[in-house]
Amino acid sequence: MVTRALLGVARDGLDERALAETICRACVDGLDIDGASISVLTATDARETLCASDQTADVLEELQYTLNEGPCVEAATSGHPVLVPDVHERTATARWPVFASAIGERTPVRALFALPLRWGAINLGVLDMYRRAPGNLDDEQRRDAFSAADVAALLLLGQRTDPGGDEGWLESATASRAEVHQATGMVLVQLGVSAPEALARLRAYAFSHGRLLIDVARDVVARRISFVEDVKEP
Amino acid sequence: MSRSPVERERSVGQAFVVLADTMVDDYDAIDLLDRLVGYCVELLSVDAAGIVLGDARQELRVVAASSEDAQVMELLQLQNDEGPCLDCFQSAAPVSIVDVTEAADRWPAFTAAVAERSEFRAVHALPLRLRGQAIGALNLFDREPGALPENDLTLGQALADVATIGILQERAIRRAEIVNEQLQTALTSRVTIEQAKGVLSEHFEENVDEAFDRLRHYARSRNAKLAEVAGRVVRRELDLAEFTPPRHPSKRR
Repeated sequence: MVTRALLGVARDGLDERALAETICRACVDGLDIDGASISVLTATDARETLCASDQTADVLEELQYTLNEGPCVEAATSGHPVLVPDVHERTATARWPVFASAIGERTPVRALFALPLRWGAINLGVLDMYRRAPGNLDDEQRRDAFSAADVAALLLLGQRTDPGGDEGWLESATASRAEVHQATGMVLVQLGVSAPEALARLRAYAFSHGRLLIDVARDVVARRISFVEDVKEP
Repeated sequence: MSRSPVERERSVGQAFVVLADTMVDDYDAIDLLDRLVGYCVELLSVDAAGIVLGDARQELRVVAASSEDAQVMELLQLQNDEGPCLDCFQSAAPVSIVDVTEAADRWPAFTAAVAERSEFRAVHALPLRLRGQAIGALNLFDREPGALPENDLTLGQALADVATIGILQERAIRRAEIVNEQLQTALTSRVTIEQAKGVLSEHFEENVDEAFDRLRHYARSRNAKLAEVAGRVVRRELDLAEFTPPRHPSKRR
């Protein structure tokens, strides 16, 4: 079960690339796929491949970048999952003509699953998976894949916003409490920063005060704490 | 709520017309659910309503609530661990607490929370049904103890069914593999909307309820999807000055 494997990942000392590789490996091990890759959006909104489990996955990423077409690109821009049981089939070739033909010529890929890595409006990138045999993932695997993409997004976001050894991040993030999201929105206005940066500041505050993120978030929403340059408290 | 049968029937009719209208063309599931919980409170003899959906890990997540009141949200979220919603979700059958003061055996933590932290006495859960299973539940809260009257049970289930159809859309009901995608989209949209509520709430120095009114008013008056507008708000792509409040803000309880 990929999700369980990811929830158990020890994140100490793992940089973004190593984390991505761990995620890709877990997907390939736990799902009926042949390869996986993760591409992310950099600070300048350019796309970058963080990891590719094999040569084919690498070629897939390369093709989508160069052609700016394909399920991965679509998943990245729409923020919705794009599942393609057979890239040679008419609906796929009509949808992404150049990409489909290039894939057919250069790779043995038939099935492609592109899952966006995001937390609400925070878009981190895409998790791409492929298989040589056509066909969808079965119900249970599909659920696992979606859930794994959620956890993968949180792992990567956690790494980016880490105040330095915060152990409770994954647990509070997977609980997905409304107040945490609302507080993120409020703080991004207060500081004039991006959503991930706002989240990082919330985490830093919680960590340095030995408090749970959800409790800090509640205080922010209730306007007991506001972030203006330095944190202002009553 | 005492209304003549004729009046109620007219209201029910109007509600379904609006809901059906919302589902024509391209629409936003979250918008539909938001309207729907409002109708639940208006048409059924209840004081608050909420909708929870099961995510990919089968955890219950709140996607709509008739009141952004922290109390109601808390009672909805608590049921991820214990409560009529959870039982309803797992069994795909309606589950009711007719009096929270008498149901401690089955749901000790939940009934204690309801009794201590709210004025609600009755809690009902109706399944969002799909092929013998539930994708979530419609939760109804009442300050008066007692079972839901038969008519309300039927109407409530019909509204829950509308919610299911609205979320999954007809094609998903036909093609099983799309169900997960639709659910995923609804759940992700909710996170985006919560983030946007924070942005607007801070910008206008209002509570999140009022912020949501502005967000919804902006989206509806431009025929745009709530979730898309919310995303653009969070990415600071829109001029917030254009987010005026609706002339008749919804009555939140």
